[in-house]
Amino acid sequence: MSGPGTAAALWSALGSLPLAHLVPTGLGPWGDGMARLMLQPLDLLLLVALVLLAVQNGRSWSDRLALVLPLSWLVGGLGGLLVGRELHLALLCAALVTAVGVLAALEPALRLGKRFLRGGTAALSLLFGLVAGSSLAGHGGALQALLGEAVAIAVVTALLLMALDPPHPRWLALGLRLIGSWIAASGLLMLGWLSRQPL
Amino acid sequence: MGQCWRPSSWSVPRRHSPLPPALVVLVAAVLAPAAAWAHADLHPGGGLVAGFLHPITGLDHVVAMVAVGLWGAVLGPPALWLLPLAFPPVMALGGLLALLGVPLPGVEVGIALSGLVMGLMVLFELRPPLWLAALLVASFAVFHGHAHGAELPAGAHPLLYSLAFVIATGLLHLVGILLGEARRWPGGRALVRLAGAGVALVGLWFLERALA
Repeated sequence: MSGPGTAAALWSALGSLPLAHLVPTGLGPWGDGMARLMLQPLDLLLLVALVLLAVQNGRSWSDRLALVLPLSWLVGGLGGLLVGRELHLALLCAALVTAVGVLAALEPALRLGKRFLRGGTAALSLLFGLVAGSSLAGHGGALQALLGEAVAIAVVTALLLMALDPPHPRWLALGLRLIGSWIAASGLLMLGWLSRQPL
Repeated sequence: MGQCWRPSSWSVPRRHSPLPPALVVLVAAVLAPAAAWAHADLHPGGGLVAGFLHPITGLDHVVAMVAVGLWGAVLGPPALWLLPLAFPPVMALGGLLALLGVPLPGVEVGIALSGLVMGLMVLFELRPPLWLAALLVASFAVFHGHAHGAELPAGAHPLLYSLAFVIATGLLHLVGILLGEARRWPGGRALVRLAGAGVALVGLWFLERALA
């Protein structure tokens, strides 16, 4: 068999192996990776909280979020694949989601700067991507799954940004803060769970 | 001509046979899972539905959450949105304490008092300073959260459970706010005060039970 043929066969074989941390959707690693976002509520909550923070800070930052968030996640995920073993950072991740939820609930009063938001968003996406990538490391189809998840993040972020395009009427501005407070509350309860039953 | 074709068997009287065995088995198979539900846990640990149902199946919790919204409506902005905004995280803080094993004495009394006090606030349309109202509601939130935290079942989806639990609580606040908005219409004010009286009575009933 030729070199490219062997590589293609190997790639295909790797892709068909089950991923221990993915729910099989029947759509292959790409689909499993996309579904992972929906099946990992903590990741999804972080994404929603970051979008809330972004749209509360005007259009200039929220427009860039759809690009920054999935790219940082992907870079972090690639780093996670290189780590080679699963990182158990659930407690830290829950604490960070809680913190972002609190910020989203308080944001108009806090007036967080754009630089803080950019840096914070990139750092959090990198970290969560790193954890996601590390959980896929060593499995067949991990790269495709990671790419699928990044695509899902880009799509969900874009949809949310489209729906919550600033400026907001007063009721929606309050609603965004309320959702931030709910995320913070859920994160706090999650911290309690994790302290009782570490994952 | 003029006669419709019909199968010859139509003219023959049908013999009423008993149900075919396959059909009996099929019917039994369809009904069997329904019988199994009789022994199913109505609040299976850790799930979106279980989390959502948890706060709305306890009357003491329901009336207190609705009272938060009602009182917010009586107080007007900014308390109208500040109380429901602050309640979930503080409640979750109480839940966190319970999950960490930190004891809180008089939880049941605190929960009953929350209904009684907030019901009376709505009934008599009392408007304390915002900081005092927020402090009162936050104190009650800790008791509610602690009770729920102690009851949270160990499950496979803790975050989904928590999220649904918090959302249900928030929706109860919203119900209270919408009820409170009835004050804008003629007769609505009396209706809201009546609702406050109902909440206070339920609180009093739970307080009597907690102290008994």
